[in-house]
Amino acid sequence: MEILVLAKQVPETAEADLEITRDGADLERDDLVYTINEWDNYAVEEAVRLKEAHGGAVTVLTLGDEESEDVLRRGLAMGCDQAIHLNDETFLGSDPATVVQAMVKALGGRRFDLILCGVQSADQGQGQTGVLLAQALDLPYASLAVGLKLVEGGLVVTRELEANTLEEVALPLPALVTVQSGINQPRYVSIMGIRKVRGMAIEAHDADGLDLAGQVGPAASCLAARRLALPETGAGAEILSGGLDAVCARAAGIIREKGGLK
Amino acid sequence: MPARVPFWNIEAAWLFYLLTALALAVFGLGLAINLARWRPGFTWGGFSAARLKATLADALLGRRIWRGDASAGLMHALILLGFLGLFLATCLVAIDHYLVSFLHGRLYLVTSALWEICGLVLMAGLVWALIRRYLQRVPRLERRPADALLPAWLLAIALSGFLVEAARIAASGAAWERWSFLGWGLSGLFAPASAVAAHAVLWWTHAALSLGLIAWLPFSRLFHALAAPVNLYFQQEPHPLADLSLAPDQVREFSHRHFLTLDACTRCGRCVEACPSARAGEPLAPRGFVRDARLYTRLKYNLLTKIPWFRRRLRQELTSRPTIDPEQAWYCTTCAACVEVCPVQASPIELIRQVRSALVEQGSTVPPLLAQSLERLAKYQNPWLAKKGQKAAWAKGLDLPDLAKGDPAELLYFVGCTTSLDTRAQGLARGLTAVLAHCGVAFGTLGKAEPCCGDIARRVGENGLFEEQREDLSGLLADIGVREVVTSSPHCHRTLSHDYALARTRDGVTGPMPFRARHYSQVLAELVEQGRLTFPTGLAVRATFHDPCYLARHSREVRAPRRVLAAIPGLELVEMADHGRNGLCCGGGGGRMWHELPGQGHLARARLEQAMATGAALVVTACPLCLIMLEDARKAGGFEDRLAVRDLNEVVCLALGLEGGANPF
Repeated sequence: MEILVLAKQVPETAEADLEITRDGADLERDDLVYTINEWDNYAVEEAVRLKEAHGGAVTVLTLGDEESEDVLRRGLAMGCDQAIHLNDETFLGSDPATVVQAMVKALGGRRFDLILCGVQSADQGQGQTGVLLAQALDLPYASLAVGLKLVEGGLVVTRELEANTLEEVALPLPALVTVQSGINQPRYVSIMGIRKVRGMAIEAHDADGLDLAGQVGPAASCLAARRLALPETGAGAEILSGGLDAVCARAAGIIREKGGLK
Repeated sequence: MPARVPFWNIEAAWLFYLLTALALAVFGLGLAINLARWRPGFTWGGFSAARLKATLADALLGRRIWRGDASAGLMHALILLGFLGLFLATCLVAIDHYLVSFLHGRLYLVTSALWEICGLVLMAGLVWALIRRYLQRVPRLERRPADALLPAWLLAIALSGFLVEAARIAASGAAWERWSFLGWGLSGLFAPASAVAAHAVLWWTHAALSLGLIAWLPFSRLFHALAAPVNLYFQQEPHPLADLSLAPDQVREFSHRHFLTLDACTRCGRCVEACPSARAGEPLAPRGFVRDARLYTRLKYNLLTKIPWFRRRLRQELTSRPTIDPEQAWYCTTCAACVEVCPVQASPIELIRQVRSALVEQGSTVPPLLAQSLERLAKYQNPWLAKKGQKAAWAKGLDLPDLAKGDPAELLYFVGCTTSLDTRAQGLARGLTAVLAHCGVAFGTLGKAEPCCGDIARRVGENGLFEEQREDLSGLLADIGVREVVTSSPHCHRTLSHDYALARTRDGVTGPMPFRARHYSQVLAELVEQGRLTFPTGLAVRATFHDPCYLARHSREVRAPRRVLAAIPGLELVEMADHGRNGLCCGGGGGRMWHELPGQGHLARARLEQAMATGAALVVTACPLCLIMLEDARKAGGFEDRLAVRDLNEVVCLALGLEGGANPF
């Protein structure tokens, strides 16, 4: 079984003290650490597990600058067999449709039985790359997978819907599935594991080679970030005390004072 | 003339030689099977007379067996003395028979009497061993069928030997045979008419039992008689660091050092009684882990796997029998209590570290929280925060010299990840800073550039990360030219002094370490001794000291913190049931601070209960991990009114009045 898995490098922001650049267009990135997008990590793990159970090979693909090679090395250390790097600084800031266009060109008609990727990325969070790629390759797809089972003639995917409901769908192969976090427990990748794959060859493409020069990046994007802003910090909290009735009356009073109740 | 008549009354001596050859062949095969496991990658630090002396003292006098259990020491001494005496007797008889005849006349009589005594001593030891196991039922001893077999077998050999002698004396006894006093006494059991026939039967029984034991020895627990002394010798050399330059196919699952630990173990169970994890009812018990690993390696690395028929059988057994449960490895706190009490100095923690390394490289079974902590360590140089540049936040406003920025200072205070980032442990850092300033000691830190020393990576088996961190920090210290380091944590201290030195040995770097690392308690003790740290007022409190494992056991320092506490007037130090090198671990070591395990026990609570049993109002410790673990257990257990937990620096500050306020205890 041939599997392609998409992985993106994103800054880790969960605990970081974020700062906006002076022009308001981006985050201060100096103090940020880059890592594999959390959802993609689950996708890579799932791909490697499928390979370990059913045989075949896994190819990991990323799009980004030179630094994003780390994501590929990490994927190789986890058990992927090949890596494709769409390596060009000018790719950064492209919209999802452009990203998918570049991927399709780089894949150049190669066929995979299954394509996996994260539901969304931690930085932009648009959740479009996977489904757009399925469209571009004319593949059936399922999103938000929290379970994935190979069966005779295809794939059974458990999808996570609203309010703790799950949906089971069957797809023929080839197909594309976007993976939700928590589908598995991704393995730990040791430093030695990364070192061991240091010498493995990585297939690389730049914008020129894909005939995309000048058609990628922020300038060619259908989206433009006007201004980034951090949520405003409130002045403080007032803790209401007293009996339940008194607290409710006071709370209603405050809301009314601020114009929330008429 | 009194002398021994070899093969008296035995006609088919050839059969005896045949059986002997057979027994020796099986013994040789067993020995080869065991030694073949030791052989790959075998290295040693060369011969050392001092190490041999210590080995002999432990092996022959049983120093480590007497310690903590005189009854066991006596048991072992009796068996060893009897066994060695009779072994020597057999050797002398063989020399007399085959080489030079010298055992006759008075010498023969005296030696005969001595061997009678050896036989008696051996039997006394064996009976004592059986009493301990089956009547006294010493809790740490197991009572499986195999546990009775070995002493019963030895006892049968000794008894049959005396009966052979008695029958011979009954049949042909000269008056001088009185010297074999026990045989003489027992000879009344045999009627002179039937004694000759009985002798032959008993002789062959004795021969069969003895030869059977020889054949069984390499496969039995008695193999410790050979493996334990070798292990005692080797354990005096530090366990080498993994060589990360090896190609994957050259990396061995276990080294000869691990196999020695496995073969030396006698299953005495002292480790189970000492292990904080086993005591708290967790799935790990060092003895069981060693047993499983021994079975696993004896099946997997058996010499006989070279023969296809055996290979199939061994493989089959390997898959059908329960062997190492790798999950257990994560419960170990690496406190080394097991190593401390082990009579043969087996090292379950090195075995566990090796298993952990394999699990880390494989990746799938690393506990999720631990994996997260390791990723933080690699990216942010600390296991606590996914954020850079927070290491100096605790010292805001203190204006400490920053060596990383080029400020000069003779002493580097290596604060450590936990001490700089955990709010409770920061008390240690503030305390030490205040004490050093009070004593006029000039020092600086590495500020926000301080990396992790690599302790956690090393303890959980992330060898690559440890190397990376060690290289980073060594490079930084060399650039600055640091010569003196004081650490908050006994863990950092151990890593900087011991593990960094191991890396130098491995990498062939000669010369002394470029810096000396000390734990802060050692620096404080020195200040007390120099008269620079004195306590004019004192602190009235009954206190007990919780020894951090990495200070007391790994680094052998139990005196320094007590020296400091003893200098505080009014402070009465009482000791817990387990203290000093036998201290009980708080449960925070070996990476356990950074992950949760199914069914994990309340290790720190057990420790606090020991502390409360002393009647102390204050538990003092000298490690950020112990401080956090004990403080948490104190709050979770609802012991807040009964006792306080403080770092040694905090206590010193209170005694010096640097914190202001009244005695809080």
